[in-house]
Amino acid sequence: MASPLEQLSAASGREFPNLLKARELTSKGLSERRARLAELPYDENVSIVLTGSWGRSEVTSGSDDDFMLLVTGDIGDKGDVREGVRPSKAEVEKILDRPPGDQGIFGKPVSSRWMIEKIGLEDDQNSNLTRRMLFLLESVYATGGEIYEAVYNELLDRYLDQSVKSLHPPRFLLNDVVRYWRTMCVDFAGKEREGPEKWGLRNAKLRTARKMLFASGLLPVFECNDLEKGQMTEFLRGQLEIPPADRIARAFLNHNAADPGGRTLGAYDDFLGLLDKEDFRDELNAVTRENYKGSSAFSETTRLGEDLEQGLLALLFETDSLPKLVREYAIF
Amino acid sequence: MVPLLLTEPDLVLAHHPLGASTGYMGDLRGDWPAQLGQARELSPFAIELSVLSESEIDGLASYLVGAPPLPFRYLSIHGPSKGRVMSESALVDVLLELGAHAQAVVMHPDTMEDPAPYRSLGRKLVLENMDARKHDGRTVEELDGWFAELPDAGFCFDIAHAWSVDDTMGVGGGLLDAFRTRLRHLHVSSMGSDLDHVPLTEEHEELFTPLLQRCLDVPWILEAPPRHS
Repeated sequence: MASPLEQLSAASGREFPNLLKARELTSKGLSERRARLAELPYDENVSIVLTGSWGRSEVTSGSDDDFMLLVTGDIGDKGDVREGVRPSKAEVEKILDRPPGDQGIFGKPVSSRWMIEKIGLEDDQNSNLTRRMLFLLESVYATGGEIYEAVYNELLDRYLDQSVKSLHPPRFLLNDVVRYWRTMCVDFAGKEREGPEKWGLRNAKLRTARKMLFASGLLPVFECNDLEKGQMTEFLRGQLEIPPADRIARAFLNHNAADPGGRTLGAYDDFLGLLDKEDFRDELNAVTRENYKGSSAFSETTRLGEDLEQGLLALLFETDSLPKLVREYAIF
Repeated sequence: MVPLLLTEPDLVLAHHPLGASTGYMGDLRGDWPAQLGQARELSPFAIELSVLSESEIDGLASYLVGAPPLPFRYLSIHGPSKGRVMSESALVDVLLELGAHAQAVVMHPDTMEDPAPYRSLGRKLVLENMDARKHDGRTVEELDGWFAELPDAGFCFDIAHAWSVDDTMGVGGGLLDAFRTRLRHLHVSSMGSDLDHVPLTEEHEELFTPLLQRCLDVPWILEAPPRHS
């Protein structure tokens, strides 16, 4: 059966060659990595989870191998996982040879319990929120599929707790998705104060892939407004396991906005095509707030980001039923 | 008194971003600050600065060079369709300078002779479909050749022009089918008996709604004042 993206392409007359190429690259690369990672020694409670472009099925020539070592079971007071987890990060990085940097998000094994149980309050630091949202919105398992699925369902159950009402969007989850988007925006400003490095690339991602990710989390949550409480877990699991671009394509189709959808995802497809080019990435990497006006790569990204944003706003604010949901739930 | 918005849902005025074309501000012609001020009263988000005649180009260029930062997030410039004196290459040079201030430069295909010079405008060039009086640019067949020569150009859908060619809106629907992936913005109005742009009537708003709903993600530029203004 055709994916929502392919259905939108047929309905809108807009092709998405770069998204479809990226899906092929993701699928092929994932199979290869799964086979190689399976040969490593494993503790029984460990799953290797790929996030970022792997989780979005948007791998291009410049994609990193963003991964987390997800560990279930007992943890220390601060969410620390015991020493000596196998496979080790170093063992994994011999196979995933374009690993993320040693920043707080990916630098050490991740406790599933901490990620799930510490939602909100002091212990839910920026890194925990980020890991949880990447896991929820853009992840795929590389190994330990059963562990991954169990943790995923446990996390959804945590969000869909006793506060959830039938025929209402789940507010706890909605608030965390919105919180993540705003956190990324605020952190962008925070990182700029630390230094100008990678300002252009971070800005470009915020305008495009991050915005897609936010919308792709928001839309399924709003759709729960039509569901009984008991239907939401299965619906959300089904939605969140398809790529973000498919979730958004599906929403445009469901709300009779195929033409705007084609242009919106077309802009994102164009951006992905540019991101696949090394000279484009190099130029974006070198862009700072001081020199962005002279960068054609940044100018092109800005234009495509605006087209993407206008399309998503039209979906949320000018189609049939979504505007009322946005008004009722998205602001307060 | 019941507020107007509660009695009369208005698809067009509710759209975002909405903007005014300065082309309908005849009494303010030449006074760019006043035209922009009036446009801003309708919406600070989108605007089309309309240079109907070549003789107005220098005034707009001077204004834009010295103007304070403008609030509009989408700014298009409508190139001249009357009083043409310059060669096409000279006109395109001027449009390139003006285009540095804008996201789009709109041209009427029936006023263009050679597409070649316009290629340098790249994506900024936007071609508009023409009304029934014109000899070119009215239908898919007539626009196809222009887009073949100018593959990067966008499409400005003038819904009233399409109505003047076919009041069943079949031609309009065909234009959107053919050029929807190029769509950059809309011109919205009704047309009077001599095919001049007049405020959008309620009857036309209802007639145009199915096509307008295919264009929710792009700016809509009013080619005549809102009917309640």
